[in-house]
Amino acid sequence: MSEKNENGLRRQDEEAQLECGEPGRDEAARVERAMEAARRQEAAEHQPEEEKLRIGVYICRCGGNISDVVDVERVAETVRLIPGVATAKVHTFVCSDPGQQTISNDILEENLDRVVVASCSPFLHEQTFRGAVARGGMNPYLYEHVNIREQASWAHKHDPAGATDKAIRMIAAAVGKLHHAAPLEQIKLPNHRRALVIGGGIAGMKAAADLAGRGIRVLLVEVSERLGGRLNERGAVYPSERSGDELVADLERRVRRDPNIEVLVSSQVTAVSGFIGNFKVQVQPVRPDAKARVIDTTVGAIVMATGFRPYVPRNGEFLYKNEPCVVTMPEFIQLMRSVKPDARTLTFGKREIRKIAFLHCVGSRQLDGVHEPQPDGKLNTYCSRTCCTTILQQALTVRERFPQIEVFDFYRDIRTYGRGEEAYYTEASKSGVVFFRYNGEEPPRVESAPAGRRARDGAVSITVKDTLTWGEELTLGVDMLVLGTGMTPGPIEDLIGQMKLPTGEDGFLQEVHPKLRPVELSVNGVLLAGTAQGPMNIQETLAAAGAAAVKAAAMFAKDNVELNPYVAAVDLDLCRGEAQCVTQCDYDGALTMVPMEVGGEMVERAQVNAGLCVGCGACVAVCPHRAIDLNGWRLDQYEAMVDGIAADIPGHECAADLVSIH
Amino acid sequence: MNTQIDSSFTPDALVVGGGIAGLQSALDLADQGLKVLVVERQASIGGHMIALSKVFPTLDCASCITTPKMSAAAHHENITILTSTEVEAIESAGGVHHVKLLQKPTYVNFDKCIGCRLCEYACDTEYPDPFEEGLGAVKAIAVPFTNAIPQKAVLNAEHCSTCGTCARVCPTDAIEFDQQPRRLTIATDAVIVASGFKLNSITVKPQYNAQRSQDIISPLTLERLLAPHGPYGRVLRPSDGKIPGSIAFVQCAGSRDESIGVPYCSRVCCMYSIKQAMLLSGALPLADITIYYMDIRAFGKGYEQFFQNAKAMGINFVRGKVARIDPLDGGDLSLHVENTEEAENPIAERRHDLVVLAQGMIPGWNPAAATPVACAADGFVATTSLTAPTATVAPGIFVAGTAAGPKDIVDTIAEAGAAAMQASQYLFQKRAEALVG
Ligand SMILES: Cc1cc2nc3c(=O)[nH]c(=O)nc-3n(C[C@H](O)[C@H](O)[C@H](O)COP(=O)(O)OP(=O)(O)OC[C@H]3O[C@@H](n4cnc5c(N)ncnc54)[C@H](O)[C@@H]3O)c2cc1C
Ligand SMILES: Cc1cc2nc3c(=O)[nH]c(=O)nc-3n(C[C@H](O)[C@H](O)[C@H](O)COP(=O)(O)OP(=O)(O)OC[C@H]3O[C@@H](n4cnc5c(N)ncnc54)[C@H](O)[C@@H]3O)c2cc1C
Repeated sequence: MSEKNENGLRRQDEEAQLECGEPGRDEAARVERAMEAARRQEAAEHQPEEEKLRIGVYICRCGGNISDVVDVERVAETVRLIPGVATAKVHTFVCSDPGQQTISNDILEENLDRVVVASCSPFLHEQTFRGAVARGGMNPYLYEHVNIREQASWAHKHDPAGATDKAIRMIAAAVGKLHHAAPLEQIKLPNHRRALVIGGGIAGMKAAADLAGRGIRVLLVEVSERLGGRLNERGAVYPSERSGDELVADLERRVRRDPNIEVLVSSQVTAVSGFIGNFKVQVQPVRPDAKARVIDTTVGAIVMATGFRPYVPRNGEFLYKNEPCVVTMPEFIQLMRSVKPDARTLTFGKREIRKIAFLHCVGSRQLDGVHEPQPDGKLNTYCSRTCCTTILQQALTVRERFPQIEVFDFYRDIRTYGRGEEAYYTEASKSGVVFFRYNGEEPPRVESAPAGRRARDGAVSITVKDTLTWGEELTLGVDMLVLGTGMTPGPIEDLIGQMKLPTGEDGFLQEVHPKLRPVELSVNGVLLAGTAQGPMNIQETLAAAGAAAVKAAAMFAKDNVELNPYVAAVDLDLCRGEAQCVTQCDYDGALTMVPMEVGGEMVERAQVNAGLCVGCGACVAVCPHRAIDLNGWRLDQYEAMVDGIAADIPGHECAADLVSIH
Repeated sequence: MNTQIDSSFTPDALVVGGGIAGLQSALDLADQGLKVLVVERQASIGGHMIALSKVFPTLDCASCITTPKMSAAAHHENITILTSTEVEAIESAGGVHHVKLLQKPTYVNFDKCIGCRLCEYACDTEYPDPFEEGLGAVKAIAVPFTNAIPQKAVLNAEHCSTCGTCARVCPTDAIEFDQQPRRLTIATDAVIVASGFKLNSITVKPQYNAQRSQDIISPLTLERLLAPHGPYGRVLRPSDGKIPGSIAFVQCAGSRDESIGVPYCSRVCCMYSIKQAMLLSGALPLADITIYYMDIRAFGKGYEQFFQNAKAMGINFVRGKVARIDPLDGGDLSLHVENTEEAENPIAERRHDLVVLAQGMIPGWNPAAATPVACAADGFVATTSLTAPTATVAPGIFVAGTAAGPKDIVDTIAEAGAAAMQASQYLFQKRAEALVG
């Protein structure tokens, strides 16, 4: 169906008449018809039916975020003069309940048929106001959101007059756009009530178990041979001091027993296409020789639970790999786990350890100019969140099991923030762990001890400027140095590329908004669970997995997936099947050429897959015939917006000129 | 939103507390088609978060993040909200939780009140506004604050002069001076405890002398001073209305201290102090701002970078314990600081004209006394399951947010989702078993 037909009543009627009268049998006639249609569209655009519209404009003070700079009362007075604007009101928080209520009431009481809210970023509140508009009984897509906070008051703090003028122009643009708006309906897609969970660590297992517990079928895919992720072989974990294996076993029992969960280990997801409610995925065994089969299946949602990778120091970083006694935390944990229960001493490579040091923030909290960048040129500027407590737990364990060993701890800030974690710090201090505090700008230096003195002084020496003793420089020999290595993003570049997943500055998967949509990725239907998002401890990982599961469960509670209708639409009257749009399209399957009958002839025409189209508009830009356009963001709407912005407004009186678009 | 309910109402789940944890849990349950009752003891939902200025680490304005959730809950067809109502006790028997509620009189009939505020405008009795941490004034009958939900007037009997003006001006005859407290029991299958936190007393450390100066303030007070729609619209010293020139943040002023019974870390103070320092330096570019700390705990996603930005902005970070604060005659505050970083003056006296004490977080409610829920040694709700961090010791009762220990909004929201997931599974399984057996 032709999009432009929906622009307004008059045009729709005209169009219908014209279409009946013109069968368009040959190419020449078709071209003529297309040109005629374009001319008609032009003409129609220049005569919007302003008189008929009743637009309500709501201007938000945002507490003072907007009104401290923008003269909102003047904005209201001015925009009231724009033809079509029936009412313009100012509110302290339009997003608050009374604010929204005003909109819904006005729609009913003042017969509004279009609404503009000028407030914050649409990212925050477009949905909120569409809801308010819908509650008033209006089509929610006859609503325009204008961001006069980020784009006016915040950007032009020191120019109140300019900011006010800009706010007026932006609203005028939205009003112009609304003159060309058509009601739209949400796109409804079928919803396959089944989830794919990628990664079988505790996050993946928890998400799978939670979903299955709600009767939702799950396919759980783990690339390694076993479930459990990094918690396998971790030993007792803080703060419960229960075995990580026990935790893994508990979750594993649940996912293995639940008939709703299919577990595939030594498997990887090799292809993902489709869209929310309807992802086509392929899972293959990691080793091609394995007997396991290749699975092609459909799922409605995907949970990314691919976890983290422990930081591995560069060769030579704090003498790692140069001195065998310099080990990472996971290596040290393995050493401690290998010690016999009745052992009285801790030995490493036949040497008894008498002095041991732990160094915090290795590979985390890196600073520009101090630390060497990673191979990708980036610094790990983030805190890995779990290393401090892990170090203190290990330090305490060493002191308790081997009281003869002296334990030294080199830290920047002790971050035992979580429930039950501060006690490790207190207990470690009480147990005689000696603390040194260094400034991030001056990390300790680690040097090999001279051959003759290693037995007596320890194999490596650590020199630190200790800020607990007024910056005194101290040097200390130890038999073992444990590097408190943190977390880095997991190696999932293939999935990131294939699924077009966003990552943050830190390389971890990036949520849409940390508070509003904390477990959702910008790709609809793809959710985030656990340390794939960033460092977390066990409790936080399990909570994040539950939060991801609940979003999927809510999505599956509906029969259909509902999406915004901002997708491309092809005007078959104008399309000539040149496929330039298809060539330009970046999203596999969003736009394809399909055979169809047009005017009695079999031709190829472009067709949009609403589930895959992201509404980027690349197709619109390349079509020479203006045969493809974006619902809700059509070219004629852009033109009306530009006209609205560009119209001259010397003062209040002239504001009416704003939409005199001639 | 429905405020008139009785015991015949049997929601699938009941949420204790309408802070961000409670609201998120309720939304995540309701979106799965379950009927939820949210019970909030204050006159508005929103909890602590609705009163904050801007929130780390994104510096979004707190209202802008909270109001959509409040509004979404209020408009959700599966959510019912009771405000000015306290959960007093829970008795569980045979898998059903009987939740005892106390509805406090608001002296306003919510079915009649249209939120026009004519009563508020006409009332001539004022008292220090609790929403503004006592800095501004509010009328004895008023809608609690601008973006409160519900937008209904509430009369504070303690401050009312009983002059009757409100009843005369009310266009809908909504004022009911004879309202009495009402007790109500709701039976439900699942409960989520989201009763949040309180700050411990600002005078908990006597050596800080907070009772002797109005300019030794709570961080919640500073949130209001910094809020764009706060009591003064800008940052002024409470004592004399002067613009402060030198502001100190004293960290761990009620946490990590066994002597006051709060040995644990309150987890959010480092970050909110850094945030407040950044907002202050924006509001008062000339002010000198110092944060006295032991460890900076900027552990969350993007938090370390936030901390580094604050350093780059020129905020002073001094590692040292503040041993004592003395109010001086001229209005200044003298801080005695043990600074381990400067050998020259390890014990220094520093002067500031506004001091913010990072008070510790303690539980907002003690459910152990009147419900089957147990609390741990730290006073917060105990969670003992290895694999379900939001399960309490009582089957069918779950916990979310700061009710289970200090945490920021990001972690609170994740936990709220997890609690809703746990509760919905419990309900689903319970119903499946009922069908079978
Ligand atoms: C040294 C150390 C000690 C720690 N100690 C504690 C502690 O005592 N207490 C505590 O609370 N926290 C601790 N933690 C944190 C804890 O390890 C994490 O919170 C937890 O392991 C995170 O679980 P996860 O499922 O998110 O990730 P992971 O454990 O990393 O699991 C991810 C899983 O996904 C799989 N995977 C990855 N990519 C793919 C793919 N493409 N396809 C299929 N599968 C894939 C991986 O093989 C792995 O099995 C510690 C962390 C470290 C580094
Ligand atoms: C000064 C300060 C600044 C902060 N700044 C930030 C920030 O910038 N970013 C950030 O992420 N976090 C910040 N936080 C932390 C944030 O406030 C909390 O994470 C969040 O508010 C916790 O929400 P909650 O729902 O768990 O608790 P609350 O907000 O305390 O909500 C609990 C609700 O339950 C109600 N209630 C309690 N008991 C009962 C009962 N028996 N019956 C009925 N109702 C009951 C209470 O009235 C309350 O409304 C800050 C905290 C402080 C103190």
